[in-house]
Amino acid sequence: MEEHYQHLYHALSQVDGYIYPNEIDLHWGLMIVLYPYITGLVAGAFILASLERVFNVKVLKPTYGLALLTALAFLLVATLPLVSHLQHPFRAYEILMTPNPTSAMAIFGFVYLWYLMVVLLLEIWFDYRLDFVLWSRESKGFKKYFYKIITLGINDTDEKSAKLDDKIGYFITVLGIPSAFLLHGYVGFIFGSIKANPWWSTVLMPVIFLFSAMVSGIALVMIIYMVVSWVRKVKIDMECLDTIAKYLFYILIVDFTLESLDQIHRLYEAEESFDIIKVLVGGKLNITLIFMQVLIGTVIPLLVIGFFQFYKPTEKIRKIIYFIVGLFVLIGIFFMRWNVVIGGQLFSKSLSGFTSFNAVFSGMEGYLMAAVWLILPCLILVFLLWLMPPWKKTTMHN
Amino acid sequence: MDRRINKNRRKFFQTSATIVGGTLLYSLIKPLTSNAQVIEVNKEDNSINPLWGMGVDLKKCIGCGKCASACKTENKVPDKPFYFRTWVEQYTVKNDGEVIIESPNGGIDGFVQSVPNEDIFKSFTVPKLCNHCSKAPCVQACPVGATFISPDGVVLVDETYCIGCSYCIQACPYGARFMNPITKVADKCTFCYHRISQDLQPACVEVCPTDARIFGDLRDKKSKLVKFLQKNPTQTLKPHLNTNSRVFYNELSSEVK
Amino acid sequence: MPKIIFRLLLTFFVFVGSFMLLQNFITPKSFGKNGHYRADAIQEIKKQIPIYKGEEACVSCHEDINELKSETVTIDDEEFTLHSNLRCETCHTPRIDSKTECKSNPPKMEPTRKTCGQCHSINASRKNKMKMIDLEDHKVEKNCIKCHNPHKPWTEE
Repeated sequence: MEEHYQHLYHALSQVDGYIYPNEIDLHWGLMIVLYPYITGLVAGAFILASLERVFNVKVLKPTYGLALLTALAFLLVATLPLVSHLQHPFRAYEILMTPNPTSAMAIFGFVYLWYLMVVLLLEIWFDYRLDFVLWSRESKGFKKYFYKIITLGINDTDEKSAKLDDKIGYFITVLGIPSAFLLHGYVGFIFGSIKANPWWSTVLMPVIFLFSAMVSGIALVMIIYMVVSWVRKVKIDMECLDTIAKYLFYILIVDFTLESLDQIHRLYEAEESFDIIKVLVGGKLNITLIFMQVLIGTVIPLLVIGFFQFYKPTEKIRKIIYFIVGLFVLIGIFFMRWNVVIGGQLFSKSLSGFTSFNAVFSGMEGYLMAAVWLILPCLILVFLLWLMPPWKKTTMHN
Repeated sequence: MDRRINKNRRKFFQTSATIVGGTLLYSLIKPLTSNAQVIEVNKEDNSINPLWGMGVDLKKCIGCGKCASACKTENKVPDKPFYFRTWVEQYTVKNDGEVIIESPNGGIDGFVQSVPNEDIFKSFTVPKLCNHCSKAPCVQACPVGATFISPDGVVLVDETYCIGCSYCIQACPYGARFMNPITKVADKCTFCYHRISQDLQPACVEVCPTDARIFGDLRDKKSKLVKFLQKNPTQTLKPHLNTNSRVFYNELSSEVK
Repeated sequence: MPKIIFRLLLTFFVFVGSFMLLQNFITPKSFGKNGHYRADAIQEIKKQIPIYKGEEACVSCHEDINELKSETVTIDDEEFTLHSNLRCETCHTPRIDSKTECKSNPPKMEPTRKTCGQCHSINASRKNKMKMIDLEDHKVEKNCIKCHNPHKPWTEE
């Protein structure tokens, strides 16, 4: 507690201008930056998978299973930053028991459950069911028991049931697209609906969140595909990789357009909050926004992949560049979430001053915790890839 | 032949999935939109419950800070300069137009004049507190129903139910809420609900040496508050946000944030 | 209906059903009575014990001080209310709650220049509202109460 007060006294000494006395401490920190980031990765990875399944972009087949498992691995971790952040985590069940129908945040429990169970788990199950049956016959030990149980007793291997699996899986993917939009869109709405905060309150917020989520998810799958192929020592399907990069490029254009529109609109209307926001963007957010989010996260990837649409260098160079660009995009989108969450709390609602954000290293809201929540899904993904390797599947949906 | 059948089947699945998906989606969103209107205090029911409000006469406030101090004493708010259920702001408008706003320790220790007299255009002090909005955005935002408007119009926090997500704190346009470091729940001015329910005045009103704060029942035409509202041109803070604040200021100057 | 779809739908409805049952048991009983909150919370909040007692409690023992405080002063046809409109607890912050006997921890005051200065120090924001004094100029180093009785800080002389 004393340490917390020391930290607040320090923040008090760094106040610039006037802030309402209660605004000294940022209530939403690193954990709340992480949560939209992770659900964004989930939604984006799923959209990439659905590009193949529903929109028939066949070249993306090598990444279909990978994208789904990535989405699952990150979704399993998605709740955890929120629980880290709550002051009373053991009361978290109340969100499911008495959700307030007027609160955007209350949707969380239901949208999460729906997406996890009805969309993601079911889709993966239908896609893998036949493989589970076949694998259960060939493997031993833990894997054998896992495959046997997971088939839920439906061991048909005939073509009719395979077709049914396919049909239902397709149906679920179609259902999954608006569900993915809701899973991440509501987070944007959580911010966009707060009229008290002019940095957050914009109609475009859910849409911007969605498109930046798609960008981050696609970049993530691109990188994971490259890493997994490198680990497995198999050749990367360049047509697939080029197509992923192409879709990344298209959606990044939309994302960039939306964010630019938001800023241009702000600049043009220059209403009451504009003066403080101008100082915010040029001052406290100059590195995280102008350099990290815009330059590194958006402009450089756009220029590079855009350039590739006209002139493609050799495969070797492309692979390296895609990897770097993917990382840039992931970093850029992280900082986009940072700029929204942290940026929105750095200036006072009196529009007359700033407080400061001093991240801590340890504790529930610290860098260490954030690193854990980001590394854990990667470990889960490794486990899932060992348990249900997409490249060992003998069946593939049409 | 097979391909055509598959195509039709696919179309059928696509359309039916979209319809079902859309309906499901709509059913998820519908509860949101139908209750998207913030919770309004029941205006018809004025026979039983009072509707509490406060008036602040800026003509009388001398910026002594006793209200802020008494509030902390009465409600056991941590005595650190980071947590205030009510506080006082000092505004100094300089001749060159610059506005300096200060609230050292919420005004609890009083104020020091920070600008020499010759540079001052005008200066005044403004007490702030929770506005107990009839259309409170904080109540709208709470995911579990831990903060609510009581039948007599006071916005309260259920300490045993709040999960500490801080969404209400983000939603308050007036900076009236804070996270209590000891109870770890959202905290704010309650109009001293435990006092007003026993015919006592809120602590801040009790100690104000100039009677700058006026508390009363907006539904009682004989109350001091209603008379105050009738006699003076009063304003609320941030009216453009349509929160229906029930704290009314007399002589609120345009510089006040 | 294919076996798998039937099983899935069944699982779904069983899940939803048990969820609603759970909701019924876990939700606090008074929740929803007056709105989307636990109605019992209102009574719980009302139970908080007030600290400030109010003037009457002080006056019941200290009537003499109250009489002194209520005296106003008229100089050249102008009436000065002095501290007559102040309530005791404005300066005497209570140290016990309203249910406890005052005698167990009386709010005895040791005023300093700072105490009086909180209201009376010269500040442009209180111009024309009350009597102000420049504490850096007026009898520096002396405690105000040496000349001014805090319950009646001015007399006709």
